[in-house]
Amino acid sequence: MIEDTPTRLLLVDDETVLREPLAEYLTRQGFVVQEAESAAVARSKLAEFTPDLVLLDIMMPGEGGLSLCRHLIESRDLPVILLTAKTEPTDRIIGLEIGADDYVIKPFEPRELVARIRSVLRRAQRAPAPAEEIALYTFEGWTLDPLKRKLIDREGAMIAISTAEFRLLRAFLDHPRQVLDRDRLLDMVQGREAHMFDRAVDNQVSRLRRKIEVDTRNPEIIQTVRGGGYRLAADVRRSAADAAK
Amino acid sequence: MLLALALALLVAQSISAVLLYQASENRREEALLNAAAFRMLSTPRPERDRAENRGRRRNGGERAERNGRGRGQGRQFIQGLPVAIRLEQTLESPLLAGEIRNSEREERLQGILQDQGIAVDEVVIVSRPLSLDPLTRNRDRLRQRVAQSLGPRTQLMVAAAKIPGREGWTVARVAEPPRQRGTMRTIVVQTLLIFLFLFALQFLLLRRITKPLHILTGRTERFAKTQDPSEPLPPEGPDDIRRLITAHNAMEARIGALLDEKDVMLGAIGHDLKTPLAALRVRIESVDNDHERGRMAASIEDITRSLDDILSLARVGRVSEPPERAELSALTASVVEEFEDMGQPVTLSVAPGPTNRIVHPVHVTWLRRALRNLISNAVRYGGAAEVSLHKLGSAIVLRVEDNGPGIPADRIEAMLEPFTRGEASRNRDTGGAGLGLTLARAITEQHGGRLELSNRKEGGLRADIILPKPL
Repeated sequence: MIEDTPTRLLLVDDETVLREPLAEYLTRQGFVVQEAESAAVARSKLAEFTPDLVLLDIMMPGEGGLSLCRHLIESRDLPVILLTAKTEPTDRIIGLEIGADDYVIKPFEPRELVARIRSVLRRAQRAPAPAEEIALYTFEGWTLDPLKRKLIDREGAMIAISTAEFRLLRAFLDHPRQVLDRDRLLDMVQGREAHMFDRAVDNQVSRLRRKIEVDTRNPEIIQTVRGGGYRLAADVRRSAADAAK
Repeated sequence: MLLALALALLVAQSISAVLLYQASENRREEALLNAAAFRMLSTPRPERDRAENRGRRRNGGERAERNGRGRGQGRQFIQGLPVAIRLEQTLESPLLAGEIRNSEREERLQGILQDQGIAVDEVVIVSRPLSLDPLTRNRDRLRQRVAQSLGPRTQLMVAAAKIPGREGWTVARVAEPPRQRGTMRTIVVQTLLIFLFLFALQFLLLRRITKPLHILTGRTERFAKTQDPSEPLPPEGPDDIRRLITAHNAMEARIGALLDEKDVMLGAIGHDLKTPLAALRVRIESVDNDHERGRMAASIEDITRSLDDILSLARVGRVSEPPERAELSALTASVVEEFEDMGQPVTLSVAPGPTNRIVHPVHVTWLRRALRNLISNAVRYGGAAEVSLHKLGSAIVLRVEDNGPGIPADRIEAMLEPFTRGEASRNRDTGGAGLGLTLARAITEQHGGRLELSNRKEGGLRADIILPKPL
C-alpha cells in the first residue's frame, strides 16, 4: 500500500535547522511531507490536509507538542510519533499516556525513524489494538503495566525487562493459554527494535523465563509446546484504564 | 543536657539544704548553751516562793527563774527558744546513774563561760527527760506547762559547773525545745519548691532554644538530601536562633535558585545542542560513502553520549521520583543482555532467578546506567567483562571485573574525577568524555552506596557498586 499511494506526513517542529533536512530526507524516502513550524501552523494545515501520521516535537514555543498531540488524537484520531530532546522518562510516559503511538529521542537515526513510521502505520492499519486500553495485566500474582512497561512480581518488586521481552510477554498475555509459534510471535513482537527482526524468539523467551520463572528448567508460566512454539500457562486478568487508577 | 542540669541543680539545692539545717541546729545549740550559761551566772537570789512551795525541798534550793520574761501564770514559752527553769546549788554530783555526758556541749559551755571571764574547773552536761529530773519531777504544773508548749517528750538539758567562789555544783536546767521538725520540713519544702521552679524555668528556656535548633537540624538534613528550599522555616526561639534560621532560609533559597538555574541552563544546553546534532545526523544520510557516513554517525553518537553523561551528572543528585523496589538480579541480567545483543563479550556469572532474588529500592534507570558505564569501561579497557551480584553481609555488591591492565593504585582516585581517562594513547579511538566512572560513582552515592575500584590479584580491574541495605 505504501507503494501505491505515498504516505503523507505532517512534520511539526519549530527548529528549522532540523525540520528542513528531515523533510528532505523523508521526501527522498518516498513520503509526502508537509512542514509546520508551530502548533498554530499545524492546526491550520490540518484544516486542508489530512496526513497519515504526524511527527511532533514536544518542546515548542507557544502551544506545546503535548497539547497539540492531545488534540490530534482526541479529535482527529491521527497516529503520532513524538520527537523529543528530553531524556527524562516522565515526558515520554506522559506522551504515551496521552496516546502518542511512539517517540524518538533526538538525535535519532533517520532510518530508525522511518522504520518506526512504517511500524506505527502498520499497527494503525490493523484494527485499533484493544490492548492499548488495558491498563494492567495480572497473571499468577504478577502485574504488567503496559504503559509504563513495568513488570511487578508477586512481592511488589520491579523486574527489569527489555522492550523485546516486554513485547513478547504482552503477546503472551494477549493470547493466554494459546499456542503461539515462532513466526506468529516474531510478527507480534517485532516493533521499533530493529534487531528484533533477526533476534531468535527462543533467546528472548529464555531471557524472559530467567526473570519470571521459579525454575527455568521446568518453566511453569511460559511453557514450550513440542513442535509448536510457546504457550502462556496462566490465567490473565485485564483491568481497563479507568478501573486501574 | 536537661537532665544533667536538673541533677546539678538538685545537688546544689541539697547541699544548701543540709547547710541550712546545720546552721539551724547550730543556732539551737548555741541558744541552749547560752541560756544555760546565763542562768549559771545570774546570782542565786533568795527564794521568793509564790505557789510552788514544794520546790524548796532541796538544800537551799533556789527558786526557778523564768527566763527574764516576768512570771505571769499560764504564759506560753516562745516557741523554739530554750526555756531555763531553775538554778540549783548542790554538793551532789548532778550526774544520775547511767547518764552519758555530752562532752561537745561541755566544751562549748566552758568556752562561753571563759569568754565571760569565769574559769570553771569542771562542767557536766547531760540530757534527760523532764520526768526523770529530780528537781522537776514533782513540780507538775511546770512540767505540764513545758510539756504543753514544747511537747510531752521534751528533754531537759542539765548543765552543772563548779564555779569558783560558789560551793559545790551550780546546776542550770534548760528545757530543750524539741528538735523542730517544722524547720526541717520548711527547708525540704523550700528546697523542693526552688528546685521545681528553677527546673521548670530551665526546661522552658532550654526548650525555647533547643526546639528550634532541633527543627533546624532536621531541616538541614532534609535539605542536604532533597535540595528542596520550599516552605522555609518560620524563625522561632531566642534572637540568635531566629537569626540563624533566617540566615539558613536565605542560604537554602540561594542554593535552590542556583540549582534551578543550573537545571534550566543544562536543559537549554541539552536542547540547543541536540537539535543541531539531530539535524547533522539527518544530513549525513546524504553522504554516499558508507564508510564516511558510518564514521560521522559514530562521532555524532559520541557527542550525544557525552552530552547525556554531562546532563545526567548534573541531574543525578536531584532525582525527584522516589526509588522503586526492584529485583537486582533481573536488572543486572537485562543490562548484560543489552551488551550481549551488541555482540560484546559480557558474561553474567551468577544466573538470575528467583533462587537468588535481591530486592532493593533503587532508581532503576540510573542504576542501569551506572552498571552500563562500568561494563562498557571494562569492555573498552579490559576486552571483556564479567558481571556478578553478591550479598556481602547486609550490603549488596554489583561487581564488574575485567582482565585488562587495571589502573595503577595511585591513579584510582583520580580516575573517578570528571574528564579523566586512562592512558591517552589508549582511548583516542574510544571516545567518551571521561565521565563514565564519575557518573557511576555519583549514581552509587545517590543510592547511599559507594563505588570501589581495585586491581584484582589475577590482573584486571574490579569495580564494585556497594549498596547498603535500607534501614
